[in-house]
Amino acid sequence: MTREAGALALGAPAPRRRRLGRQRNRDLGTAALFLLPLFVLVLGLIFYPFYRAVWLSFTDKLVGYPERFVGLRNYEYLAQDDAFHQVIRNSFVFTVVSVGLKIVTGIGMALVLNSIIRGRNFFRGLFLLPWITSTVIIALTWRWMFDAFPGRGFFNSVLLDMGILRQPIAFMATPEGAMMAVIVANWWRGFPFFGVSFLAGMASIPRETYEAASVDGAGAGRRFWHITLPGLKHVIIVTTLLSFIMTINDFNIIYVMTRGGPGSATQVFATYSYQVAFQQLRWGRGVTISIFLVPLLVVGIALISRYLLREGRGK
Amino acid sequence: MPSRHLSRRTVLAGALGASAALALPRLGFPAVKKGTSLRLWILKTYVEPTNKAIEASAQRWAQKHGAAVTVEYFTFEDMQTKYVAAIESKSTPDVGQLETSAPSRFAGMGQLLDLTSFSKQIESQAGKAPANVAPVTMMDGKVYSIPWYVMGAFWYVWRDVFEKAKVKLPSTFAEAREAAQALTRPKDNFYGMGQSWNRTADGYGVMQSLMYSYGVGWAGKDGKYKSIKTPQMQTVMKWATDIYTNQLQPADTLTWTGSGNNENFIAKNVAQTSNGPSITFAMENAVAKATDAKDKKMKEDALANHVALPHLGGPDGRRMQAIAMSMGVFKGSKDPEAAMSLIAHLVSPEETVMVMKDSYGQFAPVLEKAKTASKDYFNKNENYRTFGRAAEWFAPTGWPGPVTAAAAEVQASNVLTDAPAKVIVDKWSVDQAIEWEDKKIKEIYDTLRA
Repeated sequence: MTREAGALALGAPAPRRRRLGRQRNRDLGTAALFLLPLFVLVLGLIFYPFYRAVWLSFTDKLVGYPERFVGLRNYEYLAQDDAFHQVIRNSFVFTVVSVGLKIVTGIGMALVLNSIIRGRNFFRGLFLLPWITSTVIIALTWRWMFDAFPGRGFFNSVLLDMGILRQPIAFMATPEGAMMAVIVANWWRGFPFFGVSFLAGMASIPRETYEAASVDGAGAGRRFWHITLPGLKHVIIVTTLLSFIMTINDFNIIYVMTRGGPGSATQVFATYSYQVAFQQLRWGRGVTISIFLVPLLVVGIALISRYLLREGRGK
Repeated sequence: MPSRHLSRRTVLAGALGASAALALPRLGFPAVKKGTSLRLWILKTYVEPTNKAIEASAQRWAQKHGAAVTVEYFTFEDMQTKYVAAIESKSTPDVGQLETSAPSRFAGMGQLLDLTSFSKQIESQAGKAPANVAPVTMMDGKVYSIPWYVMGAFWYVWRDVFEKAKVKLPSTFAEAREAAQALTRPKDNFYGMGQSWNRTADGYGVMQSLMYSYGVGWAGKDGKYKSIKTPQMQTVMKWATDIYTNQLQPADTLTWTGSGNNENFIAKNVAQTSNGPSITFAMENAVAKATDAKDKKMKEDALANHVALPHLGGPDGRRMQAIAMSMGVFKGSKDPEAAMSLIAHLVSPEETVMVMKDSYGQFAPVLEKAKTASKDYFNKNENYRTFGRAAEWFAPTGWPGPVTAAAAEVQASNVLTDAPAKVIVDKWSVDQAIEWEDKKIKEIYDTLRA
């Protein structure tokens, strides 16, 4: 019931108040009925699994055994686990570099698509191909591209045929090479999402602003720096945040391409969590590896949401 | 013309025969209710005909008993994931094929039925399993699964490469390394060996064979933790890392997945590698599929030229860590009696031999009668004779102790192959890597619940 309806109800004669009261109850009932499925969904699919995961991280749950509360023991273990330290380093390198590349190429893609009039929709669809292709297929394709198997790996075959190389390069045999390979695959898959989002953002920047800047003598670089980038600020923040969350939780690309190897050079949160939970059967610890990230992501989301709300109110 | 009257002798002989038949121990396999329905989980290997043969065998049982069997597959890759998900969601199959460490792991969780008395019936019907294989199916003196076959790992070499270089075919890890040194020709992109320390059975399986053959075990005979900080382990780690640091292998060996060694061996990029008989299967299959006469001749030559040697030995013997497959009944089964009847059918000598014949040597039966019946099949050629001996060299995970949940976790944690990778990739010293590995193993034993 709205505030006005409430005021009316207070000032109205008794029979009318009763009628409005009944109507309010009916409205509340209808609203509750409509909200119920959503409430059940949120509770069942978000809160309960999350609560369960947090609870499991405080237990020594092994597959097939009942859980036992162990307090912060899993967190203490991981804080001292050198393998987990490497996982944290790998995850951040993988995520920060991938997302950074996606922002830069996404902006490039959006600028190019924004400048062409003919066939824009066609190219937009074309650029979206990596985004809609199965991740496993993408990972397998990039694995093949970097392969050192004679006559099979794309890069090696090209370089050998051109006479630039005499021996194939084992791109994925070194920690740096393997990390580069999984970053490239993740970047290739993810940059269209940035490009399309930025393109939508650019469409909302008034043309007159650009025209006025041009009249005042601003070149393309200055127009980009002073109009386009500020105009895209919110889109950049939101897409970066979303992509950061998706990338840091990525499993498929790394599992298919390197299995976290060579050694543990590309082991990240998701693959390590999988190994501990499903191979070693230590669910409590496996869940803790995933939960470790949650406070960081919650703080990030809260800060960005606050910033966006403040900006919104400022307008 | 035969007499219509029965002589006294005939009657006596008949009576004697009938008494003898009645006196024989009745197998007494559980009865199967008509219309019963079972779920059977089996391993899907690269050798597709074996998968189909097992499925067909299960369907023969179903037809015989008026029952139904739904066959579901798991692969090497998702074996643990599938069982873990089923255990946690309480949707385990009635009968499951279990790899080497699964019976002890799942029995420890209380997931498997105690099959001790059933296993005695099976023994009377199909014979015993060898003493080195049988313990895989047991925990605390009870039997939780029925052993079926061993899928061995062998040391594959190209005969012509060795002969041309006048290098002796290796029998030990030390000889294999020496041979690799003599055979490596980086300029031609040809390497003496292809052994990946990756996160598959081709990695951790060979590492265990290497350790056990040098007398290194991370557990004692009692199954309790034992330190690996020994001079023998230093030799093991040195072997495992020398083959990389001395560049006796292709530069990308560490990145190979499960099929990398197969591909590189068949393509003749490497002179030696460890693998199951799936290499032979691929080569036999290639011959069968070749249509062009010249191509067929080339493939036949390659087939005749590839040799599967027994897995390499060490100073302490020849111990091959491999996949010992058994069949277990899950406690959640709605019809355990029918489940046992299905297992009895599958492991019977006749059915085992039928499946084996479609296995391209991958399926080496372990129960006595099936083993005896398989002799002709494995006499096909030298490679098959080696395949047939798989169980002889078998050593379980956690050797010399029994397979325990902790031993299985050591294998699953990848610590065995991550340790040499630390030397190769992160440039740790051999001692540092052993120290790290030993610490991780001890931690697993210390923190795993009793």
